[in-house]
Amino acid sequence: MSFIILKNIVKEYGPAHALRGVSMEIQKGQWVNIMGPSGSGKSTLLNIIGGLDTPTSGEVFVEGIKINALSEDDLACFRREKTGFVFQQSHLVPYLDAVENVMLAQYFHSMADEEEAVGALTRVGLEHRLKHRPSQLSGGEQQRICIARALTNDPVLLLADEPTGNLDRENTKMILELLKKLHSEEHFTIILVTHDPFVSQWGERVLMMEDGSIKSDAPINP
Amino acid sequence: MPPLIHEALLIGFKEAAKAGLVWLVFYSYLVVNDRKNFVKPFYMGLLVSFLIVFMSQFLPSDIVTKENAGNIISMSFALFLIMSGAALFHVSGTNMLSISASGYGSTLPEETQVPSLKPAAWGIIVLLFTVIFFAPDGMGSLLQLRELSYIKGRGSMSYISALIGVAVVAAVLFTVVGLYKPYKIGGFFDVPQLLLFLAMVKLFGSGAKEFAELSLLPSVQRGFMKFAHDFVHQVFLFLMVPDHPLLKATFWNFIGIFFGPDFASLVSLIILLLFPFMFLYHSLRETLPEPETRSVAEGRKIKAFILSGRRKRALPVACFIVLILIAWFSRSEETIMQMYLPKPIPVVADRGVVMIPVRDPTMNVMDGSLHKFSVSYEGRQYRLILIKKWDNTLAAALDACEMCPPEGYGLRDDHVVCIYCGTPIPVNTLGLPGGCNPIPLAFTIEGGFVKIEIHDIVKKWGFIKPLQGKESMH
Repeated sequence: MSFIILKNIVKEYGPAHALRGVSMEIQKGQWVNIMGPSGSGKSTLLNIIGGLDTPTSGEVFVEGIKINALSEDDLACFRREKTGFVFQQSHLVPYLDAVENVMLAQYFHSMADEEEAVGALTRVGLEHRLKHRPSQLSGGEQQRICIARALTNDPVLLLADEPTGNLDRENTKMILELLKKLHSEEHFTIILVTHDPFVSQWGERVLMMEDGSIKSDAPINP
Repeated sequence: MPPLIHEALLIGFKEAAKAGLVWLVFYSYLVVNDRKNFVKPFYMGLLVSFLIVFMSQFLPSDIVTKENAGNIISMSFALFLIMSGAALFHVSGTNMLSISASGYGSTLPEETQVPSLKPAAWGIIVLLFTVIFFAPDGMGSLLQLRELSYIKGRGSMSYISALIGVAVVAAVLFTVVGLYKPYKIGGFFDVPQLLLFLAMVKLFGSGAKEFAELSLLPSVQRGFMKFAHDFVHQVFLFLMVPDHPLLKATFWNFIGIFFGPDFASLVSLIILLLFPFMFLYHSLRETLPEPETRSVAEGRKIKAFILSGRRKRALPVACFIVLILIAWFSRSEETIMQMYLPKPIPVVADRGVVMIPVRDPTMNVMDGSLHKFSVSYEGRQYRLILIKKWDNTLAAALDACEMCPPEGYGLRDDHVVCIYCGTPIPVNTLGLPGGCNPIPLAFTIEGGFVKIEIHDIVKKWGFIKPLQGKESMH
């Protein structure tokens, strides 16, 4: 059975159709990129898979759980236990340092553990920036904290919405290499939304979206 | 229909409220932890308790039976208190039932696991504890009802009143539980907390001295005071302190601080609070077990689960501490300090014999109260006491003991109390020599008079060596 199954997902915002009957399957441990122009519905699709949004109709299964049928509490539990998010903006708490930002995610999952948070930041190569606040860090470093924060609770699914959208090419490459390394070590599933053709070439599979529908679904040649 | 007896109604209210509260907490605990199969031994325990209480109807109606019932209630309280501490250490503060219900049990180290007794063994334990909890209190209440029935002279009306009290509480309880199903409170308890809860219900809801008495606190205070006194006393005796010729008055007075009601009351409060504070420390400070899990995040989640459970279960314990403190300080004045202190009635020695009328228009030495007398002989004053014991015999003694300065005794409940050191001495032990007991005197009752040889009084007052030394201090 596939890790993620989407059946005829429709999302409407009043008269506007964000998704028009999207169906697809994603295997466990796969890295899937979703490409498309602005307004094509890729972020909406990502949010629905991650339980941040609900479809107007259709069914979403993650690890066999029908998440669009979950209550608010169960959905929060699903997001807490199963998923990690990385967004274009870092959304780090500005008055907390790097370790504390990671510990905050641990706190909402279970309980804060400083030693473990330091370990997570070391894994993304930020062992020398532990006590720095977001404003004292570069955009690339901030995104690396976000990755450490997203992965500290050991999610099975990492959802990244334009994670390199604010970065230059060098930092983009560094983040993607980091994701590739962590993905090969820990085998979590990645769904990454981007409009950057360079980014879309990383991973194993790329979906092209347009006007709320999937236009193409192709493997990426290594 | 004759009017209800209010005291009996209150007894019914009290016992039903206690039983209802215990049932609610225990049942909720079983529901939350998915162990409803243990509710059957609980009900069986209630049935056995009821049979024991019924049988106690045939016990003799005297003060000794009542005193014994009070002692059993106090002992069952102490048992639950001590068992709660023992359980806390044994189960290490981890609610294994909830852990096992959550599926985390296998991830934790073996030493944190719950003792692997068979369900039947746990069933017997539940049954036994139910009986130990309910039977003594039930017996005490039944004795009170029987006494009420006798005093009020209205036959079975006291029992009917109590049953009405029980029925009212049961109706309220069933309505509340039926409407709100407040089983979530079970999540605040683990086995040690349950035992502590039972001890606290006994502390605040038991009492065998008076009708519908709501607290064991006076008994506990007296018990702890006696313990504190005896401990200090024995230590100094072991060090031969009282007999030491070099001791000065100030030193003896210093020792007296340990015997005094203020200090002993404080120490006894500390001893009582020791258990709840032990629980709080364990809940909030004890190291968490390290689960063996696939990922560190999962291990952290299990630790958070245990920690949050511990914090949750610290909440009722914190409430107990507040309740104990409020009850202790609000009751301590009335229970510890209030003492009957009669003035000595002067009597004379006629031809070497002190003669005190057993009854006259102003006094009856057999009325159960403390009676003090003073006698002047060869220029010195001596004091003596008379009091009726529980077996309806009279006790005569000097108004002094071998240990303390001779400030005499007062009466509080069923104890004479040394005014100097605050030691409570059960009235039925009067007449026995030694220690803190008033020094007994030989006497006869002839022609309606209590007769005591003056030379016995003089000899015993004078023979007490520490007394002589200390007497000069005052």
